Amino acid sequence: MTGREPTPVQMERLHQRSRRFTRPGFLIQLALLACLIAGPLVMPSFRVMDLVAKIMIFAVAVASFDIILGYTGIISFAHGMFFGLGAYSVALICHYSQPVQYHHLLLAGVLAALISTVVAVVISALSLRVKAIFFAMVTLAVAEFCHILGYQWSSLTKGEDGVSFKLPGVFSADWSGGALWGTQINGRLLVYYLILVVCALLFVGLVRFVRSPVGRVLKAIRDNEQRATALGYRVFRYRVLSTVFGSLVSSLCGALFAMWLSYVNPDTVLGTPLMLNILLMVIIGGLGTVYGGILGAAFIKIAETWLPDLQKLALSLFPKMELMHRLAERWILLFGILYILSVLFFPKGVVGTLRDQAEARRLRRLGRP
Amino acid sequence: MDLAPDAGQAGRRWAARLAAVSIWLLPLLAIDPTTYLVLTVAGLAMGMLLFLTAAGLTVIFGLMDVLNLAHGAFFAWGAYAGFAVLNALNGLGWVETGTLGQGILSVLLALLAALAIGGVLGLFLERVIIQRVYGDHLKQILITMGASMVLAEVIKVLWSPNNQTVLVPLSFTGSYDIMDVVINKFRVVAIVVGLAVYAGVMAVMQKTKLGIIIRAGVENREVVQTLGYNINRIFTGVFMAGAALAAVGGSMWGIFREQITPAMGDENLIFALIVVIIGGMGSVTGSFLGACMVGLAFNYVAYLVPKLALGANILIMVVILFIKPWGLMGREQ
Amino acid sequence: MDLSVAAIPLMETKDLSVRFGGHTAVDRVSLVVEPFTLKSIIGPNGAGKTTLFNLISGQYRPSGGGIFFKGQDITALDPPGRTALGIGRSFQLTNIFPSLTVLENVRLALQSRENIGLNFWRHYGSLTHLEDQAYHFLELVLMAPRWAVPASTLTHGEQRKLEIAILLALEPELLLLDEPTAGMSLEEVPAILELIRQIKATGRRTILLVEHKFDMIMALSDSIAVLKEGRLICDDTPRAVAANPVVQEAYLGGGVKNA
Ligand SMILES: Nc1ncnc2c1ncn2[C@@H]1O[C@H](COP(=O)(O)OP(=O)(O)O)[C@@H](O)[C@H]1O
Ligand SMILES: [Mg+2]
Repeated sequence: MTGREPTPVQMERLHQRSRRFTRPGFLIQLALLACLIAGPLVMPSFRVMDLVAKIMIFAVAVASFDIILGYTGIISFAHGMFFGLGAYSVALICHYSQPVQYHHLLLAGVLAALISTVVAVVISALSLRVKAIFFAMVTLAVAEFCHILGYQWSSLTKGEDGVSFKLPGVFSADWSGGALWGTQINGRLLVYYLILVVCALLFVGLVRFVRSPVGRVLKAIRDNEQRATALGYRVFRYRVLSTVFGSLVSSLCGALFAMWLSYVNPDTVLGTPLMLNILLMVIIGGLGTVYGGILGAAFIKIAETWLPDLQKLALSLFPKMELMHRLAERWILLFGILYILSVLFFPKGVVGTLRDQAEARRLRRLGRP
Repeated sequence: MDLAPDAGQAGRRWAARLAAVSIWLLPLLAIDPTTYLVLTVAGLAMGMLLFLTAAGLTVIFGLMDVLNLAHGAFFAWGAYAGFAVLNALNGLGWVETGTLGQGILSVLLALLAALAIGGVLGLFLERVIIQRVYGDHLKQILITMGASMVLAEVIKVLWSPNNQTVLVPLSFTGSYDIMDVVINKFRVVAIVVGLAVYAGVMAVMQKTKLGIIIRAGVENREVVQTLGYNINRIFTGVFMAGAALAAVGGSMWGIFREQITPAMGDENLIFALIVVIIGGMGSVTGSFLGACMVGLAFNYVAYLVPKLALGANILIMVVILFIKPWGLMGREQ
Repeated sequence: MDLSVAAIPLMETKDLSVRFGGHTAVDRVSLVVEPFTLKSIIGPNGAGKTTLFNLISGQYRPSGGGIFFKGQDITALDPPGRTALGIGRSFQLTNIFPSLTVLENVRLALQSRENIGLNFWRHYGSLTHLEDQAYHFLELVLMAPRWAVPASTLTHGEQRKLEIAILLALEPELLLLDEPTAGMSLEEVPAILELIRQIKATGRRTILLVEHKFDMIMALSDSIAVLKEGRLICDDTPRAVAANPVVQEAYLGGGVKNA
């Protein structure tokens, strides 16, 4: 059959290609990137920059968690721990290297990647063979162990006090390089841009991962493990691969977080609250969407920033009730309730719900003629 | 079938058991015998209290296929309930200044309060939340994790985010001194209660109709459903019983340590999970053995290298997972 | 016949057995499958046909005996390894990826054959040839118009056809077809039979088929094996099997012929 006309599959592919750069999703991403780049120059507010930097870091950490939880269907309670391993790698290397230099940062990044890969491989090789639920239990125990280690190995980690350190050269807090269009160019600003670049690269990497052949197999495994095995896919390898990849990205996010704060302590980068935050963000954004991480992180981080104000408001409304005061102090309680309600009633999250609508539109276009 | 294992196999099994028991004598190389005995009693006492949490966790998992990460919260709630009761009774002069009878009665009331609060919380959690997510491991784990966090936060609201000191009747503090081996009185109570609960749970499982249904359910849930038993009611009952046991364990822990914190539930959950993994999910006897191992190892190591105590337990877990991926008494699926 | 030219059989089981508890579902079955032939397996429900397939494809571990593929002992090989060697199977109970699209179901089989599953740096969009091939296999089973919908929205008959398309896409040397027409509506069956006939006619594939429709088996098969209560009671040409008194009593007498 020469000159065969294109099949519907080929036509759909052409259609998708032609609107590659005009899709709303693509345009939104472009606009977001532009805002992130121009933001600190146009609107120099430290509070906003701090918030945005944290959102970027957590968006990537949550997206990498989504690879493990949403795409692979494995519950890892060690994601916060990997974040902490990365953070402590940077903090300890920078703290103990005098004077600190650029290559120390590189070294810390490599160390973070190396440690997290080794730990993730060992944990998953041990517990993923048996049953996915084992993995949840083992990671919970190991993560708690690391949290306690952060406190107790105080000769290295300085325990509860945490480690503060200086960044090298132009990233150091006291470096200043004049002004550009009225904005002070200083170490913080450069660290912000470093975070922006690394986060953007990592995020692209995550998106590419789920759109690679591996990502497709992961989806298949989640759908029907037995069939995937019969097709010739060794399920165990895929689970290990995606767990290690997600954990590795998390540790790099932790490294960036440490750089941004120039300080780490066990509770902020290793503790349960961090892990719960990540869980909450991934649920709100939407499991199995990757992009949900951005929304989830933004929502929670913004809420955290506003909560103290809200708290004051609540207190001024009920000045007499002591229980009210205590409730307002415990905003984790509110997050916890929000989290349970989201799991029960909003399981697809924001992006998941939007995707379902897009899928319904696609089906109307391509479904039964 | 291994109904009639040949002699060599049986011999090897006994050799393995002997080796497993004698490992626990190894610490004697580094610890003098008197201290070793004290640590052993402390370890067993800790093991028994861990068993109280782990038993519920493992049966709930085996029967209902639910990994309940809020189980540690029951433990903490039990401790706070006991604490509240002892505080109230102290107002009547029963606790710190009371007679022996009043002391025993107040401890019993504290345990009873823990039992009740555990049961009520278990009922609430199972009916309101967990029943919505049966069959969905992912949601179960996510949601019980959230529930655990909320329950811990509510403790902070009702009492305080900080440590609290538990008032303990005089008759329960102090220790026996048997030929230089100092044994804390409450540890003896803990061991007795733990053994009694183990015996009780085993008796229920082996001898009663309910136990037979539960064991059948652990083996094969569908069978129980088709036999026409109200599986939902059995689930709720088992969940409540498991929660109540954990709460009693928490309250005993509080009395034993004379101190409680809202985070104690999380710590206990970690230990209980290690115990359940070691023992094999679904097996009560496995949990009992696992709890003893964890309790003993924790105390020996804590004496020798305090910082590595939890690490030693994780190491044991890793080793067991290497040798028997399904745990000591777990069965492959 | 000149089948004897092939010195070693494509697949062979030797005294293959599996026990579940006390029940022996497959009992010392020694079966020889010559290359490029179609062998049918018949037998009443519960005879152990599906279990035998599960043993050959590696889903179950045998309690005894061995399995050989092109002379190589594969008894200890896992299912993915067997798929890679060229043993593909379809399932009696429909077994597809329900939430993925029909095209993606088939594409995954092709991707497995190309052995690029663990590749995480390529964009799947760059693997356009896989999509085009997948579409081609859908055309073969007359499922092309439904390529874009999630597999869960297909009718039962359509899901059976998709199952076959997935199997074909693996391009296995040995196809294990477990009741491919089970649960299809009557008008869908001939197309599937024709497809099996065509695959056989290419002379490049070996097929092991479990079916209940006796007329169809008689016409298609080079040989027929009869299983009863886990045992192989007969393995011969269709004509000889039909004439075998034991078979007539055990199977054909059971009224299955007019099923
Ligand atoms: N996983 C299993 N566990 C227990 N029994 C099984 C299992 N698989 C198959 N069987 C038993 O093996 C026998 C053969 O079943 P099957 O191979 O499905 O028969 P057929 O496909 O010939 O109808 C049946 O009695 C069935 O109950
Ligand atoms: Mg069958």
